[in-house]
Amino acid sequence: MGDFMIHAISALNRHLYEDVIEQHFRLRHDIFVEERHWETLRKPDLREIDSYDNEDTVYLLALEGRRVIGGHRLYPTTKPSMMSEVFPHLAAVRGCPSNPLVWEWSRYFVVRERRDGALNLQLMAAVQEFCLHQGIAQVSAIMETWWLPRFHEAGFVVTPLGLPGLVENAWTMAATIDIHQATLNALHDRIGMKNVVHQDGPRLDCIARANLCGGTAAQRKSA
Amino acid sequence: MSAVDYGREALDFIEGLGAFDRVPEAMDALETAFGRFGFETIIVTGLPNPDQRFAQMVLAKRWPAGWFSLYTKNNYDRADPVVRLCRLSVNPFEWSEAPYDAEREPDAAEVMNRATDFRMSRGFIVPIHGLTGYEAAVSLGGVHLDLNARSKPALHLMAMYGFDHIRRLLAPSPHPSARLTPREREVIAWASQGKSAWEIGEILHITQRTAEEHLATAARKLGAVNRTHAVALAIRHKIINP
Repeated sequence: MGDFMIHAISALNRHLYEDVIEQHFRLRHDIFVEERHWETLRKPDLREIDSYDNEDTVYLLALEGRRVIGGHRLYPTTKPSMMSEVFPHLAAVRGCPSNPLVWEWSRYFVVRERRDGALNLQLMAAVQEFCLHQGIAQVSAIMETWWLPRFHEAGFVVTPLGLPGLVENAWTMAATIDIHQATLNALHDRIGMKNVVHQDGPRLDCIARANLCGGTAAQRKSA
Repeated sequence: MSAVDYGREALDFIEGLGAFDRVPEAMDALETAFGRFGFETIIVTGLPNPDQRFAQMVLAKRWPAGWFSLYTKNNYDRADPVVRLCRLSVNPFEWSEAPYDAEREPDAAEVMNRATDFRMSRGFIVPIHGLTGYEAAVSLGGVHLDLNARSKPALHLMAMYGFDHIRRLLAPSPHPSARLTPREREVIAWASQGKSAWEIGEILHITQRTAEEHLATAARKLGAVNRTHAVALAIRHKIINP
């Protein structure tokens, strides 16, 4: 436990983590395809990679030594996102966000033997801590509806964008989650850590990056 | 109503919940909102462990008094097939979907039959599963219900937000500063300056033991594990200045 941290991995420092990223693609296949039966994600090479895994993705991966035990990823909503491309019907009432200050949060997972609650709280603290530090105001998410009370319990302010719908037999909803200092403080107290996110390598600026994506998307549209 | 109308109704209800800062008012709002779908009864409750009693788990309810006393007196929660399925399911369901064997489980049949005497012949329940094994539910009953594939997702969300709002209203104050006495704030402030209990006693003209007691009480109120943690929390909550 001594060397447990949640590492922020982006295009800027990915070269320090190639083994970890590979391990995490395979874990995602184990969990999302083999265990949760999201058959549309099945890949012949057993690495679950989709169109939102690219140079703009930020991974927050919980590492014990070099072993991945859980994680999630963030993706700018200034680019076409999973919500806007695959699940826009779940955001039918309020619409999909597209804003450099809003990042899409997805592929939340915990390895089977660590689903006891503590790691969940650390992973929830990690998204708040990382985003607060970056100046991200909200994360948007496609989430299983039964997780809503668990996010509530963690102090997350969750705003639904539409009604739940069935996705692969699970009630699923679209929502935004506010990034708040107060939410983070309460989570830090609960997990007994002053900070949980570790970042190696050059400094990342998510908002600048999202603005750049938005610029190119706008250029594509007008072209 | 169309799916989008149900969606607007649900999201407007959820947005408006924040305005109710007392449980009875929040329950009035829930009663009105669920009433528009034909529901006449509401219960917002934790599910008891084997060593807990149902009555102590209830957060808020709009149940006929006769039904609540019958339910608790007969420990119906132990036999209720809806409660049983609720523990196993992450999805909301209609009461009629909870299976039981009327022949071999006469107690289960009794619960379901007696409920109809109190205008609870049909119902819909939304299970709540917390992070560390906490189980709860919002259960809605009535006779003539607007319960269909379009209304259920709206009820699902409304119930979960209703549960969270009631839970937070009943939770202890999130501002522990309000619960510290001036003396406790004083000893914590001196502890944050590195003073020992003996020194604090000298400064405040109280005994070392009294100073220690004040520190221990303040730490307990703040939810701290020790004196250092109490100081850290007091600074974070802006009870004292660093």
